[in-house]
Amino acid sequence: MGTRERRERSDANDAMLAQLFQGALTVSSINPAQISLAAVGGYGRGELSPGSDLDLLFTHSGLSEKDLAAFIKAMLNPLWSDGRQVDYSVRTPAESKAVSRGDIKVILGLLDMRHLQGNEALTSKIQAMARSQWRRKIHNYLPMVRSSVDVRADQFGELAFLLEPDLKESRGGLRDITTIRALAKSEFVEIELERLATAEALLANVRDELHHVTKRGRDQLLLTEQDAVAAHMEFADADALMLELSRSARAVDYVMQLTWHRIEERLHRISLKRPRRTLLAKGVERYRNEISIPAEYDTTPDPGVGLRAAAFAAQRGMRLSLESALRLSKYFTDLPTPWPAQSRDDLVALIGAGESMIDVFEVLDQEGLISRWIPEWEHVRFLPQRNVLHHHTVDRHMLETAVLAAALTREVHRPDLLLVGALFHDIGKGYEGRDHSEYGAELIVPLALRLGFNEEDAQTLGAMITHHLLLPSIATRRDIDDPQTIEYTKSVVGSAELLELLHGLSIADGEATGRTAWTEWKASLVAELVARTRAAMKGITPPPQPELTQAQLAKVNRKELSVEIVHRGEFLDIEIIVPDSPGLLSAVTAVLTVNRMDVRSAKTRTVHDFAVMNWIVSIDVNVPVTSQSRLHDMVERALESTEDLTLRINDRIRTYARRPGIPVPPPVVTAINQIVTDATILEVRMHDRPALLHTIATAISDFGVDIRGAIVSTLGAEAFDTLYITDLAGAPLSPERADELAQELATILGGKD
Amino acid sequence: MKLITAIIKPFKLDDVKNALNAFGITGMTVSEAMGFGRTRGHTEVYRGAEYTIDLIPKIRLEVVVDSADAEKVIDVIVKAASTGAIGDGKVWAVPVDHIVRVRTGERGLDAI
Repeated sequence: MGTRERRERSDANDAMLAQLFQGALTVSSINPAQISLAAVGGYGRGELSPGSDLDLLFTHSGLSEKDLAAFIKAMLNPLWSDGRQVDYSVRTPAESKAVSRGDIKVILGLLDMRHLQGNEALTSKIQAMARSQWRRKIHNYLPMVRSSVDVRADQFGELAFLLEPDLKESRGGLRDITTIRALAKSEFVEIELERLATAEALLANVRDELHHVTKRGRDQLLLTEQDAVAAHMEFADADALMLELSRSARAVDYVMQLTWHRIEERLHRISLKRPRRTLLAKGVERYRNEISIPAEYDTTPDPGVGLRAAAFAAQRGMRLSLESALRLSKYFTDLPTPWPAQSRDDLVALIGAGESMIDVFEVLDQEGLISRWIPEWEHVRFLPQRNVLHHHTVDRHMLETAVLAAALTREVHRPDLLLVGALFHDIGKGYEGRDHSEYGAELIVPLALRLGFNEEDAQTLGAMITHHLLLPSIATRRDIDDPQTIEYTKSVVGSAELLELLHGLSIADGEATGRTAWTEWKASLVAELVARTRAAMKGITPPPQPELTQAQLAKVNRKELSVEIVHRGEFLDIEIIVPDSPGLLSAVTAVLTVNRMDVRSAKTRTVHDFAVMNWIVSIDVNVPVTSQSRLHDMVERALESTEDLTLRINDRIRTYARRPGIPVPPPVVTAINQIVTDATILEVRMHDRPALLHTIATAISDFGVDIRGAIVSTLGAEAFDTLYITDLAGAPLSPERADELAQELATILGGKD
Repeated sequence: MKLITAIIKPFKLDDVKNALNAFGITGMTVSEAMGFGRTRGHTEVYRGAEYTIDLIPKIRLEVVVDSADAEKVIDVIVKAASTGAIGDGKVWAVPVDHIVRVRTGERGLDAI
């Protein structure tokens, strides 16, 4: 099995066609100088798989339709009655030229054209025309090639991650190789074709074997045939075969991406407009609709720059540039253990970006960066899983789960744990003799600690992985009407926080697995189990209002405005002590926003008519950091009027709103009325965006109520704010008014996103 | 011949399947179903706990048997599917005129 057999098969067909051609000539009135027969496509390259069609082209110099029909019928009849699949076209050279101008399939076929019979001059004419047209008009063809590649990938999926891939049409398959070869022939960009050799040989051999096994020309490699194909090709088992196939497809895909990248580079060089570079963060810029790390930026002292760039790319729905990934890999410096908070946040923001994360993650993975940051990942890369439920390899399944989990981040109090749990939920797969849930939990706890999560969060992640199949399994196998079932679930899960995380993970995992594993029917059973278990639990307790330190109380007693800035790496720690007034939070957030300070977390508390505010903000790399005294002055002025600030902020919000974004779930605003304290608790969960806290604070002030305290946190790209609200007299709101406020806030926040 | 259809609680599927296997029935069609019976819209008290019941997920199980066995098969299903609580489901049987095994073309009892 191999190239030689394909060549011999092709030669045998050549001989047979020669006989048929000559035979047809004797029974027709056609002069052999007026017609030629050529092989196109794969057969044109002289390679035929056992079940492949014969792709033929008849070129003639203006013969009558009647003569042609008689000739072709005489020649092909024996093949048809033999059941051979023959795909043929009949054209004059002029017709070929016209058709190939607008049809990418035709021109690609002609590029591989090979003369078989008849007047060779006719064939040569077309060959020369095709080559020259391809080279001269490559600009017109490129968009067509691109769209055909994309359409195919959409329709047939990615070979590397499918459990039942199409060897020819799937992304990274044989047709992509043909396309790359054709692009090389245009000489538009340089392509290292030798990178394809191994992959092409394997893909073609597997395809031949598949045709032998099935005795048909089908190219989809189904689970049921993988054992036989693997055995014939002397692989240890089907998994070993599929792993090799994945590797090959990834190699093809990588060359394809690199090729497009170079093509785009070259197209940009030709255009006169110089693309703008926009610096987004330290070592991260936007350049030609890609996120990249500037070539002059030294990545060695900044190991977090890779994840930072990845998070920016994914959150903006852009790609991470291949050069950047290549450079990161070449000059790799590992992150310290545990990871800095910012890198962990970047990872969460990357995973939480939904669909757009996959491309970015892929680039990092292809350059081996994911496995270097997270060595546990290496074991599940391309790992096939052989069961009827799954469609994807383990690594891709986990990515898909994370994408789906990103849509559920509003349903949980800890979106970061949901996302990280989703990305690693099957990390324990592929270890002989170990239960993947249990072993996965053993792997995730130390991994989470390394990523910089605290012990409690690491244990929660461990429990998520251990129990990620618990809810569906109980819901379908046990009587959820039985209080004992609910009691059991409650005792295993323990907390309402873990319950909502497990619910989110079950949904994302199920949906990512496929329709057979997750139906509405199953979803409703699981939802019912969760509802009943939650009812049996105490519910989630919101955090109490922040406590003040002695030092802070002492400052409050001085009764004057104080502003203090402490630099902490990429963050500023700002303490503001300020006399309370309605709209205070709105005024202070306005000052922070115009100074381009992005609030990552905050705690504020009002005591004795003074507010104590602790802000952790990240700063925009494009502007100098505001000094302490200037910030002091600005806060002082803002307390009198925020009018001019508001104008500037609205400008800023508008500018940012024009940026291409990714789809995010709508905000969730909940008033918690069940818990009676001295203030009404309002929870806001939504995608972070510029001036978010200012928008929230202004909306609440406009509602005519007072913010007594706030706990603000940003988890990746998700904002989670808890606000403590009273009426102007200092009493909690009535449940009706609290719900009204929550609804109004949700409308305001949802409308502007 | 009779077509016996049973609507049962999802978690009872294994029990019912095993009981039918023990009786000698090896083939059956199982599908996911949603529905409600008399209990719709009521708040039910079950073992001391209160629950509101809406459209409920169930399992629909179908099996074709010789008319002579129908009564016994129904008994087997009912016994295996019972928890004694509301929402245990229903079993019914209807006559079947024709049955053909697609692969062999066998008809009637041979095709069961």
